[in-house]
Amino acid sequence: MSELALFLVRMGFVVVLWIFVFSIISVIRADIFGQKVVSKASVRNAPQVLSSPIIPAAPTAAVSVTSGAIGVASGAASRLVIIEGENTGKEIALEGREIHIGRAPNSDLVVNDEYASTQHAKLVLMNEDWLIQDLNSTNGTFLAGARVGTPAVVKLNTPVKIGKTVFELRA
Amino acid sequence: MVSPILTGTMPKVMRVVPRNRNIEGLLLFFVFGINAFELAQIQLSTLQVLRSDFWLYWAPLTLIALVVHGILRRRASEADSLILPIAVFLNGLGIAEIYRLDIAKAAAGATDLFAVKQVIWTLVAMAACAAVIWFVPNQLFLRRYVFVAMATGIALLLLPMLPFIGLTINGARLWIGIGPFTFQPGELAKIALIVFFAGYLVSRKDSLAVVGRTIFGIHIPRARELGPILVIWVASLAVLVLQRDLGTSLLYFGLFLVMIYVATGRAIYVVVGLGMFITGALVAAQVMDYVAGRFGAWLDAFNPERYDAVGGSYQLVQGIFGLAHGGLFGTGLGGGVPQLVPLAESDFIITSLGEELGLVGFFVILLCYLLLIQRGLRIAFKHQDDFSRLLAVGFSFVIALQCFIVIGGVTRVVPLTGLTTPLLAAGGSSLLANWMIIGLLLRLSDSVAIKRGAADE
Repeated sequence: MSELALFLVRMGFVVVLWIFVFSIISVIRADIFGQKVVSKASVRNAPQVLSSPIIPAAPTAAVSVTSGAIGVASGAASRLVIIEGENTGKEIALEGREIHIGRAPNSDLVVNDEYASTQHAKLVLMNEDWLIQDLNSTNGTFLAGARVGTPAVVKLNTPVKIGKTVFELRA
Repeated sequence: MVSPILTGTMPKVMRVVPRNRNIEGLLLFFVFGINAFELAQIQLSTLQVLRSDFWLYWAPLTLIALVVHGILRRRASEADSLILPIAVFLNGLGIAEIYRLDIAKAAAGATDLFAVKQVIWTLVAMAACAAVIWFVPNQLFLRRYVFVAMATGIALLLLPMLPFIGLTINGARLWIGIGPFTFQPGELAKIALIVFFAGYLVSRKDSLAVVGRTIFGIHIPRARELGPILVIWVASLAVLVLQRDLGTSLLYFGLFLVMIYVATGRAIYVVVGLGMFITGALVAAQVMDYVAGRFGAWLDAFNPERYDAVGGSYQLVQGIFGLAHGGLFGTGLGGGVPQLVPLAESDFIITSLGEELGLVGFFVILLCYLLLIQRGLRIAFKHQDDFSRLLAVGFSFVIALQCFIVIGGVTRVVPLTGLTTPLLAAGGSSLLANWMIIGLLLRLSDSVAIKRGAADE
């Protein structure tokens, strides 16, 4: 091979090595910063999980709005809408299974502020009603301004406050 | 209000989130590409043509890596996604550089070639890694065998001392030989001792940290708790004296100090332990010629007398000349003369790579180790139970300490001692042990992820 070609190959190899290192770092970065709101409630039940994007870092891509989801009794809410907090406007489809809320990255609704606990609260569907259950959080869960003690029914369009985030259930 | 049903109808969390595995697969294909690039570059610049033995060095690692990846998908789908690609990258880079040194040595007429052996050992080691992932259900299973692990570790350490099978190579009695095969049992002893340390410290950490007297604001634990530390100190010095291996004794002692520090959170152990080790090493430097020679070669490497002396600094200085020859961007794989350094394929592989990839490539290798260790410590950080945390800390630190001792040794940060660069250097026992450590780290990282919200932090 000519001198120039060898030089290019040599430099190309070093560049490839650094691309490798940075792709690893970008995965770690997505681990640390990328999970602001990852709506796993919809992602987990979607059939194409296997081909899901590698880095769902962009919050907008992960959230899907499915009105009229299957498995929800009539009259019950179909989506959870965040009306206050850093993810204002995001929605999570309610499909009958539990919604975990907290700072833990594997929560269905990740609440990223210092007033929320790792496992803060969960929403459970029972007898055609959504109940909010506080999971012994430090700063409490507030339903229409009142602190939730025992699990309480969340009516449609009633604000639920967790840390700085407020959300409502809507039909 | 109806709380029994709240807990009674918990849906099973399905493990259908192979996001980790998809990232891992993607990165693995990247690594296979890098490996092919390395080998092609080496063949083109040394032989001017691509030859078919390219496949001999590329395909086995690729296939076994895919097998391990498949097993992770089946048995540990939540395991960390970065550990395997980094490990395969380092292993592949090692094979390529060893192959490159073989070409140079074969051209000079030498017959002690290592690359094919390294490929075979890689297959064995990664099969062992796969077996660890497949058969170890979770790390707590290891806790049942804490004292078995201790006995195994000590037995493995003492094995080279036995007559007939023990071998002395390059002045250190670390090998056993059965027929044409040689093996370094001390490498596997690392794993057994980490399991033992973790198990021991979990049951004793409170008494180590709390019980005892305080003198001048310094906490001194009872002799009963301090005893094992003294035993380890004596044992690591015994390794130094009897087996003439400074690196291994430093490794065991450092490992134990780190684990006891992590378990108790008391810096006094590190201070006292390091003091003891330095005292021991200084005494050894006075008493033992072998250790004194290493110290001399470290501090006074460029003195012509040291350079020319038998067992002097020749090798070390050649390695540093190699790094200087490489400069910032290196000579390119196949473009340097790393074969001039004795043991270039094992202890000095890092200077061979430094020469051919330059400082820029050298930092890639260091960063890969750093990232590997970071993943391990992150696993430790995320685990809930102390045994798993200590295990993960131990496994990460054993890699970190080896890197420090070897890379620090060849770059004259610390005295040069014989240890292998993890996953990179030629040597079957080291590969086997390090791949088993990788397997255990993967297993540990999987069990962290499946405990969904076990406790509030």
